[in-house]
Amino acid sequence: MSSNAAAGTIDHHFDPTTTTGIPNKKLLMWAFLASDCMFFGCLISTHLIYRLHPPPGTPQARQVFSIELTSFSTFILLMSSLMMALAVNAIQKGNLKNMRWSLLTTIFFGCIFLGCQVYEFRNFVYESHLTITNSILGTTFFTLTGTHGLHVLIGVIWLSGMLLYSFTGRLTEKQAIDVESMGLYWHFVDIVWIVIFTAVYLLEYI
Amino acid sequence: MSASASAAHDTGHQLEQNKFWIFVQIAMLLAVITGLELVTVYMPFVRWLLFSVLVVLSTVKFLFVIFYFMHLRWDRLFCTILFFIGLVLAGGTMWALLKLFGANASKPLTMAMMEPPAAARRAV
Repeated sequence: MSSNAAAGTIDHHFDPTTTTGIPNKKLLMWAFLASDCMFFGCLISTHLIYRLHPPPGTPQARQVFSIELTSFSTFILLMSSLMMALAVNAIQKGNLKNMRWSLLTTIFFGCIFLGCQVYEFRNFVYESHLTITNSILGTTFFTLTGTHGLHVLIGVIWLSGMLLYSFTGRLTEKQAIDVESMGLYWHFVDIVWIVIFTAVYLLEYI
Repeated sequence: MSASASAAHDTGHQLEQNKFWIFVQIAMLLAVITGLELVTVYMPFVRWLLFSVLVVLSTVKFLFVIFYFMHLRWDRLFCTILFFIGLVLAGGTMWALLKLFGANASKPLTMAMMEPPAAARRAV
């Protein structure tokens, strides 16, 4: 008898009912994230290629970007990842109350990040006159960061749905895999931003 | 429950307890690294050195998130392999595209480049 079975606890890293030993939902999420890596890889490459050879008349990204705001957004997203990890940890221990607070904080941080992005986009359009159609920098930048923002928005909606679902009483330690899969998606959004922050913003300053 | 099973359970329980502090410490570390990245771009060093430092720092952040926050460290190896297949394919595609379009021949044409030389125009 395994130690977990003996103690009556659930091993969240092993599912004996599948051939791989990995819960199917987790496997599906990892496969999706692997494919999403390629999607973002292409968007980031496209942006970098046009930054290597900017066509004449392209605005100076350094004069348009606000590194302070972006650094703040990065910090907020990192903290949201921490809260997400704590939410998963809480549900795996069956602590529903802690999970709800952690999810709520993650949603709050996600909304702050989205708010910062909307503010940044608004500034670019109205103050720097950088739109998605008037320069190649605008096209690649808004497409890349907009797609990432859309991922964050989907994550916030998913988190909110899970938070509401937790009040129905049907979310227990046994369903921790649902929260964990959602957590994987949220952390992925964070790691994509880690790459975007360096490749799109910081490299402009060196 | 046997003594060994009990010990294994205690270790597992301790790990779950420790995870909270592991996550908090990693988040603090990630915040510090982000601060370092910000300071790095203002350092008066050569470009390639700054570029290398930024790439290393963001890779460290990336790896900490995937192995700890995303539980790859504690999950089956297959999850790591599956994700790294996508990551390697994406990285390879990025590298190939940047090499292809980074070449001088890939510079976008301007009107001045498309106009024939003055001597050729006079001959016509």
